[in-house]
Order: sequence, then structure tokens, then C-alpha cells
Amino acid sequence: MSKKYILGVFDDEATLVDAFEKLKDKGVMPVEVYTPYPVHEILEGMPIKTRITHAAFFYGLFAALGILGFLTYAAVIDWPLRYGGKPFNAFPSFIVVTIVATILSITLLTLFTFSARAKVFPGKKAEIFHERATDDKFVMVFDKDGIANDSESLKAILTEHGKIE
Amino acid sequence: MEDRLILSNKFKMLTYALMGVGVVSFALGFVFDAERTWANYLLNNYYFVSLAIGAAFFAAIQYITQSGWSAMFKRVPEAMVAYLPFAAVFFLILYFGMHSVFEWTHHEVVSHDHILQHKSPYLNVPFFFARVVVFFAAWIILSKVLRKLSLKEDEVGGMYYFQKSELYSKIFIFVLAFSFSLFSVDMLMSLEPHWFSTMFAGKSFMAGVLHASSIIALIVIILSKQGKFPLLNHSHLHDFTRYIFMSSIVWGYFNFAEFMLIWYGNIPEETSWFVHRWHGAYKILFFANIVINWAIPFLVLMPRKSSRSKLFMIPVILLLIIGQYTELYYIIWPATVHEAKFGLLEIGTFLGYAGLFSWVVGTTLTKASLVPKNHPYMEESIQHHF
Repeated sequence: MSKKYILGVFDDEATLVDAFEKLKDKGVMPVEVYTPYPVHEILEGMPIKTRITHAAFFYGLFAALGILGFLTYAAVIDWPLRYGGKPFNAFPSFIVVTIVATILSITLLTLFTFSARAKVFPGKKAEIFHERATDDKFVMVFDKDGIANDSESLKAILTEHGKIE
Repeated sequence: MEDRLILSNKFKMLTYALMGVGVVSFALGFVFDAERTWANYLLNNYYFVSLAIGAAFFAAIQYITQSGWSAMFKRVPEAMVAYLPFAAVFFLILYFGMHSVFEWTHHEVVSHDHILQHKSPYLNVPFFFARVVVFFAAWIILSKVLRKLSLKEDEVGGMYYFQKSELYSKIFIFVLAFSFSLFSVDMLMSLEPHWFSTMFAGKSFMAGVLHASSIIALIVIILSKQGKFPLLNHSHLHDFTRYIFMSSIVWGYFNFAEFMLIWYGNIPEETSWFVHRWHGAYKILFFANIVINWAIPFLVLMPRKSSRSKLFMIPVILLLIIGQYTELYYIIWPATVHEAKFGLLEIGTFLGYAGLFSWVVGTTLTKASLVPKNHPYMEESIQHHF
């Protein structure tokens, strides 16, 4: 499966943002932008917004309830034992375990969610669009199929705004 | 850009009226129920001192971390710190009521009590007031120095005064951490002199930071509603919320850690404090305390949208104002009044102090340009956006 892409490689943030704004006005959106550091305008301007924080919140909620439920089931309902004169439902002592295990669950579950959504897994061959994309260059990636009809004008805009290669 | 706040007559009249209510409540209270009135006196004084100290901490943190976003608002914490001299006088007046609130000041009690005798080198009346004097002197002097540097910076500009402020903030923050910890132990923990908890000072300090940062945010929002701070944007609000959110979590953590270890250890001299507070109205307050000061701010201010909107911030802040009162009531009342009494006396005295505090903050805000001039991070504060 080989798709064709158009790359715009930029030297600094200002020219990248200029080109990005111009293309956005024309309705052409890059599929991905690689930058050495988060660039605010790009983050806000990209059509895809991350929903991973919502996912993390609900993982946390369900993990906390699940762990509390499990502790209550184990220590109160299924196998009640007296420890140090505490009631069976030693609720305050459950909380510490719940906090720690909730953090672990959130971390692992969001990691797996992110990996699944971004289609990365151990041993996957990296998709490198430009060999300096992880270096100090700003790289915009366009899907050639989506914009087949006006790829010439796209190239013109990119060049005009300081595309360097 | 000379932009001074002018207090409206309505605001002044309102604060005078509130102060009047406070004075009348205290006068009537001393006539009818002196013990309960002194407990009120202690509670309200501690309440507003914790706000002033929290604001001082907030201002110092901004200098030390060289924060840019808050440069525009630094007059607000400065104005809140200006309440300290008033509080110093009030705490010295506490001398006349100390037998009503502090059990360890009674000679006949101490002479029959081995533990209190053991503690008496620290808990005795002269040393107690010496500490009050020393702490307030240190706080007032250091905050006056910082205020002076900040005003001087308005006139002259340049980096010199900023660096000086940073140095004094570093000194101030150490002094605050040490002295306010001992202060909260003196004023609140020694109400039940047999009980002790190492988390108590940290918890009280965080409560001060939590409620002071919410009051700072509230004052900024009120001023912006009146057309001041036209450059206030959602990113600033989000940063204020972060302070509230963060300190609320730390407070919740400390509160739970204190309770949890005492509950689990189950040693009689430690648990007695909580056992007292596990009856009737106090039991409700125990849970109300956690819900108001931790659970509601945590859940409401968590989403990005609500953490940058005044619509969500104001109710949470108003709730936190009640929250600090709940906590102090929960600490002080079982030790002094022994019954959960709440009535016009409590409301009246609180309103009196609120009036005085707003008057001090208001008049201090009018004394200097509301938005600092020549602050080196001013531009960053105006452009603040994330």
C-alpha cells in the first residue's frame, strides 16, 4: 500500500505558520505536521482534536470504582477478617490502594489506547517522511490523493512561504 | 498607563455597614455569651490571617518562579497582605480572652496535669505572645519591604528591583513556612493541648494557600466585571484555577493522610481529637469539609472548559469561602464551645471581618496603579496564551 504524499519542509516556525494559515484559508489541510516543539497555531488549527483526556478520565473513574468494589467484595463480603480491631469495611485503608492502582490503570490503559489509535506497536517499522523531521526541521505532510487536482497551486504556496526543499 | 481604582461610595458604605454589624455582634456577644464570642474572635482572626498569609505566599511564589502570567495582577495579593497589621493588633487583643479559649492558660489545670506541665516551657502565656509579636513583626516587615520594592519598580523600572524582590521573596517564603506552621500550631492545635499531629501545620498552611488563591481569583474577576483588567483572558483564568485546583488536591491529601494514619494507628491520645468530632453536627462537618474543600473543586474545575470560565469559577470560589469557615469551625468549636452552636453571632462577626478585610484590600488597591508599570514580565503577562 503505497500512498503518495507532498512534503513541505520549513526552516522556522514563522514561515510554517504563515503557510499553514494560507492553506487553511484555501481549505487544504495537511494530514500531519511534524515540529521540533509544540507550535500553538498548529495545535489549535489542526482539525483533529485529541479526546484522550476524556478517555483517561473515564478509565480513572471506572478503575477507581472497580478497585473499591473489588476490595469491598474481597474484604467485606467474601472473606471478612478482623485486622487490628478495624471494622470489616475498613474504608479509609482502601483509599490508598485505590489511588495507586487507579494511577497505574490510567497510565497503562491510556498508553494502550494511544498505541491502538496511532497504530504503533513494538517492532513496527517507522514511517519516516523526511529524515530530518525528528531533527530541527518543520515538516508538513499532505495526502496527494486528497488534493490531486490542485497540487500545483499547493506547491506554489509552499514555495512562496519559504519552503526550503 | 495610569489606571487607578476608585472606590465607589456604595462600596465604602457597604464595608462600613458590615464593620458596624461586626462591632454590634461582638458587643452583644460579649454581654450574653463571652466564651462563644471569643471562639468567634479567634476563628475570624485566623480565617483572615490565613488569607493574608496565603496571598503573601502566592506573591512570593510568583517572584521566585519568575512567573510572567501573573505580573498584571500582583497588586491584588499585595493588597490582601496589607491586612496583616490589623490582624497583629487583633491577635494581641486575644490576650484578654485567652482563658476562654486556651485550656493550657489555666494554672490550676496545668498544675494537675503532667503532660501540660511537660509542655509548659513552650505553651506558656509570655512565650506565646512573644511568638505572636515576633511572627507578625517578621511578616509585616518583609511584606512592607516587598511592597516598597514593587512600588519603586513602578517609578524607576529596570531589572534591579525585580531581582531584589526575588531575593526577599526567597527569604520570606522560608520565614513563612516556619513561622506560619508554628502559628497554626499555637492558635489551633493548642486548643486541645493533649493532642498533636505532625500533619496539622502543613494542612493549615495549604488551607491558607487554597483559600487565598481563590480569593485572589475572585477579586480579579470582580474587578474585571467593573471594567478593570481589560486584558484578562481565559489563559489567566486557567492559571488561577490551576492554583485553586492544585492546592485543593494537596489540602485533600494532607487532610486524608492525617486522618488515615491516626485512624489506622488507633492510639488513644491521637484518636481522641477525631472521636470528639464524630458526634452530631461535627460528623456532618467532617464530611462537608472534604466535599467542599476537595471533592467539588476537584471535579468541577477538572475539565479544560470549566477551568477557564468565570461561570464555573465563581460558584466554586464562593463555596470555598464557606469551606475555610467550615474547617475552622470544625477545629475550634468542639474544643472551646463544646456544642455546635451557629447563629446570628457567628454570621454577624464574620460579616464584620469580611467588611474590614474588603475595606483594607479596596483602599490598598487605590493607593497604587492597579496594573503595575515597568514590571519586566508585563509584556509576557499581556500576551499570555496557551
